[in-house]
Amino acid sequence: MPYIWRFDVVIANLPILLQGLWMTCALTVLSMVIGLVVGLVVALFRLSGWRILAVPATVFTELFRTTPLLVQVVWIFTVLPLMTGVALSPFFSGLVALGLNVAAFMAEIYRTGIYSVDRGQRHAAHALGMTNAQTMRRIVLPQAVMRMVPPMAAMWVALFKDTSILATIGVVELMYEARYLASDTFRPLEIFTAVAVVYFALAYPQSLLVNRLYERFRVRE
Amino acid sequence: MMPDKIPIWKVEVVTQNLSYLLAGLEMTLVLAILSMLLGVLLGLLIAAARMSRFLIVRALAGFYVDIWRSTPFLAQILWVFFALPIVTGFRISAFAAGIICLSCHASAYLAEVFRAGILSIAGGQRHAALALGMTRMQAARRIILPQAVTRMLPAIGSQSINLVKESALVSVINLQELMWHAQTLAGFTMRSIEVLTAAALIYAALTYPQALLVNYLHRRFVVNS
Repeated sequence: MPYIWRFDVVIANLPILLQGLWMTCALTVLSMVIGLVVGLVVALFRLSGWRILAVPATVFTELFRTTPLLVQVVWIFTVLPLMTGVALSPFFSGLVALGLNVAAFMAEIYRTGIYSVDRGQRHAAHALGMTNAQTMRRIVLPQAVMRMVPPMAAMWVALFKDTSILATIGVVELMYEARYLASDTFRPLEIFTAVAVVYFALAYPQSLLVNRLYERFRVRE
Repeated sequence: MMPDKIPIWKVEVVTQNLSYLLAGLEMTLVLAILSMLLGVLLGLLIAAARMSRFLIVRALAGFYVDIWRSTPFLAQILWVFFALPIVTGFRISAFAAGIICLSCHASAYLAEVFRAGILSIAGGQRHAALALGMTRMQAARRIILPQAVTRMLPAIGSQSINLVKESALVSVINLQELMWHAQTLAGFTMRSIEVLTAAALIYAALTYPQALLVNYLHRRFVVNS
């Protein structure tokens, strides 16, 4: 018996999926903001030259970059409350985990961006009599920021996809709704296909934009 | 609110059940290594298809890459495990679904790595090689590939790291790898502090040496070229 596709199941449950999608977008934006801010602090710690700041910052970035996001999410959701006594809702645990994960990668983007500016330029600026702060503000940062834009945009797209992992701890975003509807309607094929299409439709234009950014901000030295 | 009492770390929960965790680690390694091998082979094919002279082949390969790169891995694994059997009529095991997903996912990213590596060399050097009288095969073998491969090595290494990390997600379809074993053990012993921390450390121990290798390869082959 040939399988009969029933996309009306998707249409009927569209409001639920859209609600999930809204949550997915909110999670992406909020964790990106956390990641940008915390990542900057971590990068500054690593660049500070003081070991007491640099070592913990390095351990933080390496731990978050070398372990799976799922492990981080589950760890923060189940272990952190046991250790601190503060129980966070799935939403906040997920946000903390995603935010810190992004922060670790962001810290590396900031750091490599600053290092990528040729050392000679810094020396030249010093030779011209600029102070450290002036060199940073006038010479290094303007160039470094341009180089940080493409990897940050790529991070954003990866983050948008990674929010789906929060479904495993019960954050009600798009993937969670999909799994719920798939078992509720007995139509996993239609539901999962529809959700994959939604993710694709949103992530693909963004990754095209990322490619454009890489072209636009390519370093010519 | 403070916890009733400060949690005491019972490391023996992990050491006593280490063989259970290591059984999961074994599956994680099998998944990562097998998918990496398949991913490289498939990725080479896709990269070749993306540089094909026929538009239709290029377009299909491009579509394949975009689909695997623009959807979440979790959506892919759930689709392959729950939806694909309905389309094909064949039930597949969690292991097969895991391998299919991980290797296809890796192949899409690797295909882009291969393509970018080849394109970064092709052009002037290829023309120079052809002008010196080399055949296209000779130019590829002697001039382009040796340089392209060394330039690709760091990116291939990063993909291998990603694959290990992504393999944790196949635990959602009850494929019994490290994360599945860790979560089961945490539930069984009620000691998630120690067990999940141990799992995180095992993953870090797997990927950190690879990360160091990637940094070394990057310094050695990319920055200095």
